[in-house]
Amino acid sequence: MTDEELASAAELPSTVEDPEEAHLAWPLRLLRGILGNTGATAGLVIVTALIFVALFADVIAPYDADQMGAGRRLTPPNAAYWFGTDEFGRDMFSRVIFGAQLTIQVGVIAVGISLTVGLLVGLVGGYAGGWLERVLMRGVDVLFSFTETLIALAAVAVLGPSLTNAMIAVGIAAVPFYARVTYSVALVEKNRPYFEAAYAAGAGHLRLIFIHLLPNIVPPLIVVATLGVSTAVLAAAGLSFLGLGAQPPSPEWGAMLSAGRDYFNRAPWIMLYPGIAIVVTVLGFNLLGDGIREALDPRQRKV
Amino acid sequence: MLRYLVKRIFAALITIWVTTIAVSMLIHVVPGDPVQIMYAQSQGTTPEQLEEVRHRLGLDRPLVEQYALYMGRLLQGDFGKTIRGEQPVLDLLLLRLPYTLALAAAALVIAAAIGLTCGFFAAYKRGTAYDTGLMVAAIFGVSIPHFWLGLILLFVFAVNLNWLPVAGSGPENLILPAITLGVTNAAIIARLTRSSMIDVFDQDFIRTARAKGMPRAIVLYRHALKSGLVPIVTMMGLQFTYMMGGAIVVENVFGWNGVGRMAIQAIFQRDYPLIQGFILMFACVVVTVSIIIDMMYAWLDPRIRYE
Repeated sequence: MTDEELASAAELPSTVEDPEEAHLAWPLRLLRGILGNTGATAGLVIVTALIFVALFADVIAPYDADQMGAGRRLTPPNAAYWFGTDEFGRDMFSRVIFGAQLTIQVGVIAVGISLTVGLLVGLVGGYAGGWLERVLMRGVDVLFSFTETLIALAAVAVLGPSLTNAMIAVGIAAVPFYARVTYSVALVEKNRPYFEAAYAAGAGHLRLIFIHLLPNIVPPLIVVATLGVSTAVLAAAGLSFLGLGAQPPSPEWGAMLSAGRDYFNRAPWIMLYPGIAIVVTVLGFNLLGDGIREALDPRQRKV
Repeated sequence: MLRYLVKRIFAALITIWVTTIAVSMLIHVVPGDPVQIMYAQSQGTTPEQLEEVRHRLGLDRPLVEQYALYMGRLLQGDFGKTIRGEQPVLDLLLLRLPYTLALAAAALVIAAAIGLTCGFFAAYKRGTAYDTGLMVAAIFGVSIPHFWLGLILLFVFAVNLNWLPVAGSGPENLILPAITLGVTNAAIIARLTRSSMIDVFDQDFIRTARAKGMPRAIVLYRHALKSGLVPIVTMMGLQFTYMMGGAIVVENVFGWNGVGRMAIQAIFQRDYPLIQGFILMFACVVVTVSIIIDMMYAWLDPRIRYE
């Protein structure tokens, strides 16, 4: 995600320009928008397929992920071993399939952490105002300038290398993004008439935050979170590739690429398929995220 | 302009200051005993030696005093010594930093050349097959992990075609890592350039210039490109920061001897003084770059200068 994407996510108009669609609730408009957009539909198909593969990995994969000697060592792809075998004779196809489970975990846990903390910080900062706002948002600015890679590295340096810690690290690293989007939407919504009316009617803090502010922050956060999954998957795979995330024999795609490095000259398929799996996954979430943004933001559709 | 500059530098100093606090506290958030963890990999360290290290690092004092000591040493240019080999952290970092900066700069040049051209062209040909094709390529580009693209380039150009060396730190070794880092970031630049240029093309002054019968090339380059450049320059600063982050990974793929490679080794060896120094140095570089970018931004857009 970049500043520009962030800004456009934060600026989603809550009014609908097309009167025909005005009567529809935003989730319906969203679905319509996605299905009417080739790229977004492709993204939705990829993401659905990934979740399906992860859920039914046991059924789909012909071998266990860690079963050594499932075939001869370094067998090229063929009818029995679709993606070939690795240096321990493990079936690459099965490993890539099981890797999908880990990738979904990374997406859910990392984005879950960023979303929870970012939402809390952004909401409180945007709603409270005063010194609390200044301290929180200055802190977010400072973190923001460090880039996600550095924050994630620092977090792993503290926590120690493991896939769980990599997920936490990647989640923490993205918090400033989510906090900024939430904050900027909260600032806009706070000054709208409905909010002032609710405030004047004597609504309490919790009611104002959760019943009035939160629903309006959900649509832009869906965009950020969807694109955030692709960032998280890339970052976690990168950490695992560096040896700071998932450890062998885990079938995590980044870790598989790292372990297969020494063999890629003799057995290029070892580095081909896990890489393609990462690209397709990230592409799926990117397409879906872009599609959702266009569906929610009529201005972008005209372009 | 001067007021703007002073304000920016002040904000930068605050960022660095907050970083020093975070970095000095880093070692205390480590679960378990940091000194034991640091020396877990060295055989035959006695408890007395560990106690001595704890004292040397000041870990046996109150937190505030520790921070004061740390800050005092930093101000004298003393970043501490590494756990492995007891070398001065600052010297090691400064030795390696030029390699990382060279990589990031080379990648930025590649990314900007490809990204600006493709983004500008896609915006100009908006809605055509060129535009669609380029944007599909761009979304693929942002979805490819650096390290995987690096491995593929290594496999094709260094191993199979034997055109370029596999690893090393000479100028010819810079080519593949710079392309790896540059191509993936070119995709981001292309997407942003396209949307920025489309905004400009839609504006009245472009239409007026065209209506007056001004040659297309002059309208494109003098009018459109110049005003479209302002958001793009800001973006370049961010891009450089991303490059620095990406360089950490790419250096490890290609064995390029930059600070990123050293940082990863430091994390493996739990060499906290080196990790702390790396984070602090990274923050300084990022902050300096963002100040330079802000200056360029103010220079390009007079409205900011006189605010």
